[in-house]
Parts: sequence; C-alpha cells; structure tokens
Amino acid sequence: MGNCFKRSTTDDISLLRGSDSVREPSSDPVGPPSYQEALSVQSSPPIYHPSPSLTQSATQLSEEEQIRIAKRIGLIQHLPTGKYDGSKKIRECVICMGDFMVGDALRYLPCMHTYHMTCIDGWLMRRLTCPSCIEPVDAALLTSYETN
Amino acid sequence: MTSAMSPSERRLQKELMSLIKDPPPGVSVDAEQAEQNLLQWTIHMEGATGTLYEGESFQLQFKFSNKYPFDSPEVTFVGSNIPVHPHVYSNGHICLSILTDDWSPALSVQAVCLSIVSMLSSCREKQQPPDNAFYVKTCNKNPKKTKWWYHDDSV
Repeated sequence: MGNCFKRSTTDDISLLRGSDSVREPSSDPVGPPSYQEALSVQSSPPIYHPSPSLTQSATQLSEEEQIRIAKRIGLIQHLPTGKYDGSKKIRECVICMGDFMVGDALRYLPCMHTYHMTCIDGWLMRRLTCPSCIEPVDAALLTSYETN
Repeated sequence: MTSAMSPSERRLQKELMSLIKDPPPGVSVDAEQAEQNLLQWTIHMEGATGTLYEGESFQLQFKFSNKYPFDSPEVTFVGSNIPVHPHVYSNGHICLSILTDDWSPALSVQAVCLSIVSMLSSCREKQQPPDNAFYVKTCNKNPKKTKWWYHDDSV
C-alpha cells in the first residue's frame, strides 16, 4: 500500500530519550551509569564519551555523535540483565577484576560474556564491543534476533 | 582502606598485587613507587633471550587516568635506553594499536607488557620508524593524542 512510513515513531523517540523512555520503565531501572551520572548533576550538561578516550559534555556533541549515543543508550537497555546466583561458571568481572557476589546486578552480552551491569554499561557507553571478544554488540544482537 | 578507593584505584591495586606476585618473565614493577602513586608506574623490561634485544633492559612508564580501565593507559619507554625498533620512536612513544584504538577494559598492564615484549621479540632488524625525526619534532607529549596509522602487523 506504500504508506508504511506513516506508522508511529515512538520507537525513535524512546531511543533519543534514553532511560526516561515511557515504553519499558521496568525493564532496566538502573540504566547506563553515565546517563545516571548525568541525571544526578542537574546544573551542568551531561557528560558522554563518543569514544573511549574522549569526554564531552552533551552540549559539545555533534549531531552525529548525539545520534550515536542515543542509539547506544537504546541498545544497552535491550540487553538482558540478571542477578548473580553463585554459579560456578562465571566468577569474575574482567572489567573491575572483582569476584561476582551473590545478588550483584549482571548484564549478559549476545556473545555470552557477562559483566557487572555498572561495569559493562560504563564501557558500552564508550564503545559497543564486548571487552573480552571484541565482538560488536549491535551486530551480534541482530544476529541473535535473526536466529531466534 | 579498600572501601575508600575509586573503582579504578581498586582495579589498579589488584593488578599491582598480581604483577608483584606473579610477573611475566623479564618484567618487573617498581612496587614502592606504584604504591605511593597508583596512577603512575615504572616497569622494568628485559629483552627476551634469543631476540635482537637480548641483554638489554628498558623502562616503561604507565600513566593511568581516573577512568581506567575504560580509558587506556599512556605507555612510553623512558630512561636512557629506548629500544631501536620500527614502532618505537626515539622519544619513547610506541605505535601499538591496543594502546589507543584497540584498547579494551579486559586488557591489563600485564597484557600490555606481554604485547610489547612480543612486539620487540618479533623484530628482525633494529631500525627506527621511517618518520622518526619529523614525528619526534612535531608530536604531542602525550602519545595518545597521536592519530596513529597502524599499517604493519608483522613486527
């Protein structure tokens, strides 16, 4: 019929708004830490990292960088989370090099590597790759959708 | 004491302990200096036996920001003996992709040291980088500010 572009665009809006998205308020109450960091500092603009060694306030970002970061926030929120149950298969978060403690909030990447949620979110906000296997998280996510 | 540390200090403290306890061959850390200032370490490195650098010893300086391990360490050769190598400039700057573009928080000081040992060990001819004179004259003091063009993985 040719009018598929007229569909609602709530999805785009939710990506741009990040964790104050109204669509899935319960799926990820903590959200990426840098975004939280940004929320708690009301007086100054939020701080983002377009690449790992680059630190910029939201007002300094180019339009392209803003879009990239908004996409990152949206994608991170779609990655599954859980709590450490004492499983012997995973013991340590390679980012903080600390042992997982029962009840720690975890995030699972599509490549099956697991980290503390706060640790991995801090990295994914800088670069969307798995620290352990360098697999791009967005590509892996698409593949896992296709195979499911 | 541990609870007052930032996440980057906690991780550096763990890395320091494991490097002191179980260092890779030919690598040792100046523990006293690192304990005084966790954000700047000096590492001694011996040229591996059977390589062009056998019998030589080098010093590496690691500087960490409070965003480590999200932000890669700044790593340079320092001291009187800078290895003559196609990826090491005479001011100590190292052209190694894991120190910038390919950094990952799953890497560590130990992984960087092993990578540098292996970079030196695979060298077949001691030679400075072709653009050494120009680079050393014009570069930023911080090698992480250099837009490295990684073009040769063979050495």
